[in-house]
Amino acid sequence: MTEPPTSFELTFRPNVELISIVRRFVTDFYERMIEDRDTVSRIALATHELLENAVKYGSDGATFLSITFEPGDTASTVSIQLVNRANAEHIAALATIFEEMSRYDDPFAHYQIAMARTAKRKVGSGLGLVRVQAEGEMTMSYTIEDDRVTILAQTTVAARRSS
Amino acid sequence: MSAASDLSVSLRDFSANVRAEGRSLVLVLSGNADMAAKDSLDSLLPRMHAEALRIGVAEVQVDFRNLEFMNSSCFKSFVSWISEIGELERSKEYKIRLLSNAEMHWQRRSLHALRCFAVDLISVES
Repeated sequence: MTEPPTSFELTFRPNVELISIVRRFVTDFYERMIEDRDTVSRIALATHELLENAVKYGSDGATFLSITFEPGDTASTVSIQLVNRANAEHIAALATIFEEMSRYDDPFAHYQIAMARTAKRKVGSGLGLVRVQAEGEMTMSYTIEDDRVTILAQTTVAARRSS
Repeated sequence: MSAASDLSVSLRDFSANVRAEGRSLVLVLSGNADMAAKDSLDSLLPRMHAEALRIGVAEVQVDFRNLEFMNSSCFKSFVSWISEIGELERSKEYKIRLLSNAEMHWQRRSLHALRCFAVDLISVES
């Protein structure tokens, strides 16, 4: 019988210090559930980058984070969801990043292109979400509802600890 | 004019120190390179680059082995530095050796991405 999903949710106003605290908590939490440390590292990286994204571009600071682990018969799925409010300019920038990501079949090739472009940038890196997709090996999607932005990053996991 | 001994950053949760070793510079990183470290790293890497050119190093080693995490903003600082080296005349170019820790799993992916960005300049060791 498939086990029920395990999840945690956090609603807070992240700051620089809290983001790293949450990343460390996510690492500790998932190391007890997922055998593969590399997978846990990918989840932690994605969580950190998505939270920083929310800090940089959120309009009121309030952020909802949800991480769900759904065990399956052959593979499990981890879903990281971030919800925050953003202004029109940042929503448009987000749409541009996702549109560009959708044009590349190979996320790593896209990452390399984004790296070349960011080298001369004076403000921001533009790499956070692209890094989540390429290094985190996450499937990324987003939705907009008024000024509410939801970003979903998902990955599959091979095994779960038996304890 | 910079000297390697002046090239250091010490924050609560992050540190970076540069030392000279023969014809090399060694940058040792430790802690957590997140948003709090970004400005310091942005300031340090160009100064280290200037020092590397001043003394004509053959190589800069970057020791990531005690670096717990690096966010995309700090990663971008390295991309900009590497890009600067790539634009130098061949005679002034120097190599970069990245020392990694296999236990820090993010490093395998991030340092691989850096290496692919400038494959002729960068090597990765674990």
